[in-house]
Amino acid sequence: MKLFSYFVERPDVIFSLLLEHLQLTGTAVSLAIILGVPLGIAITRYRRFANPTMGIASIFQTIPSIAFFGILIPFMGIGRKPAVLVLFLYALLPIIKNTYTGIRGVSPFMIDAGRGMGMTNMQILRMVELPQALSVIMAGVRVATVINIGTTTIAAYIGAGGLGQLIFTGIQMVRNEMIIAGAVPAALLALLADRVLGYIEYRLTPKGLRKK
Amino acid sequence: MKKISGITIILTLIGIMLVTGLAGCGSDQPDIIVGGKNFSEQYIMAEMLSILIEDNTDLSTDLTLNLAGSVIDDAIKVGDIDLYLEYTGTALINLGLEPGGSSEEVYETVKREYDQQLNIKWMKPYGFNNTYAMVVTRDTAEEYNLESISDLTAVADQMILGCTHVFTERNDGYPGLSRHYGFEFADVKGMDPSIMYQAVVEGSVDVISAFATEGRIAAFDLVILEDDQKFFPPYDATTIIRGDTLEEHPELEDLLNKLAGRIDDNTMAALNAQVDLDKREPADVAREFLEQQGLI
Repeated sequence: MKLFSYFVERPDVIFSLLLEHLQLTGTAVSLAIILGVPLGIAITRYRRFANPTMGIASIFQTIPSIAFFGILIPFMGIGRKPAVLVLFLYALLPIIKNTYTGIRGVSPFMIDAGRGMGMTNMQILRMVELPQALSVIMAGVRVATVINIGTTTIAAYIGAGGLGQLIFTGIQMVRNEMIIAGAVPAALLALLADRVLGYIEYRLTPKGLRKK
Repeated sequence: MKKISGITIILTLIGIMLVTGLAGCGSDQPDIIVGGKNFSEQYIMAEMLSILIEDNTDLSTDLTLNLAGSVIDDAIKVGDIDLYLEYTGTALINLGLEPGGSSEEVYETVKREYDQQLNIKWMKPYGFNNTYAMVVTRDTAEEYNLESISDLTAVADQMILGCTHVFTERNDGYPGLSRHYGFEFADVKGMDPSIMYQAVVEGSVDVISAFATEGRIAAFDLVILEDDQKFFPPYDATTIIRGDTLEEHPELEDLLNKLAGRIDDNTMAALNAQVDLDKREPADVAREFLEQQGLI
């Protein structure tokens, strides 16, 4: 039970770091959705930009997070702002890529059907393509969020706070109960976020398309 | 209606995230941000500086801990932190200068150069010198008859060195040590400082580059090998603070200097041991020390 003693002794610390963690991930993923989904849609319309856009987003993904945080310090200093920027860039690829793939995957017959009914391009996007592609897009958002919650623990390296603070300090002071107090809530947060996004996906799906 | 409510949920969630997240960046700025590197001595001293300031002034403080050496150096330059504990030997290397000189000479050099180049001010030294110490277990020391670093010359090629990643690279670390004493270890393993001591006790490495004020040296009955050829520069510790912070709050200079000469090697080692071995909270250890000294 010693391993979980920190939960009993300092729930206030864990809770406030959990909130910080949620804010970092939440801000980063929200910004990535706001930019990534429109960008993913745009590159289905202007296909020659598709590969370069996803190529650039892939490059960010390949940089080890700790190196990425380190590189930005001379330009942006430490703390939340550079952390959110890095986390945002990490979240972009799955969201752009899944939006693109999802919309490309919509059957051309459905689009033709819409056009035949006299729909404008905007209406086709809103009423045909997006609902059909929703599960693929949301899969991207969910992957981005779950991975981001893990990467956010590394952001403690540049003083951004969050649950990584407990993990780093715990490793340093050889206090396993602190490492657990950082790692377990982070894992639970990832599971919970995935469930919540699953529910949002369900609510966003038009009734006619919901799988029973 | 269903579709609208779904979209409403997601937009509201995104909105909440952005507002709280971005608001967190701006509002509630503390007056002073105290930085700290990523080991126990730094946790204790960062807490101590924060408590000292909050109890003696109206200023509010915040801590930013677990910063690596290179990170904290940049952080104070750009102003993301206002002050932290730095060591004279480390500062010398940060400035790109060669190690060497007495405690006083090194202190005067870094004090002058930090002031002129960076507008960062050095307070008076606390009194402890957290230099590197080459450390072996008592068994190893007896087996090979080791007392000083020179004694390693004969046996180094059969030994593995465990040290921090920083130590493997820097001129005040292994490359310099190896040139100065003229021996090389069979292998060098870079690792986190927190696991070094366990590694040498378990025998996965034979020698470690410990820190002189580390509480675990005494607790694990480890032996410090004397730096007989005077290789390691002095690492006298004190607070360094940004010049513009000091201009804004000039009362801090006298306050911070109250710690001068009050913490020697043994005192710091004892404080570290309370955190690393007795598992006490750094803030409690710091507050207790300040109370004993009558500083709060």
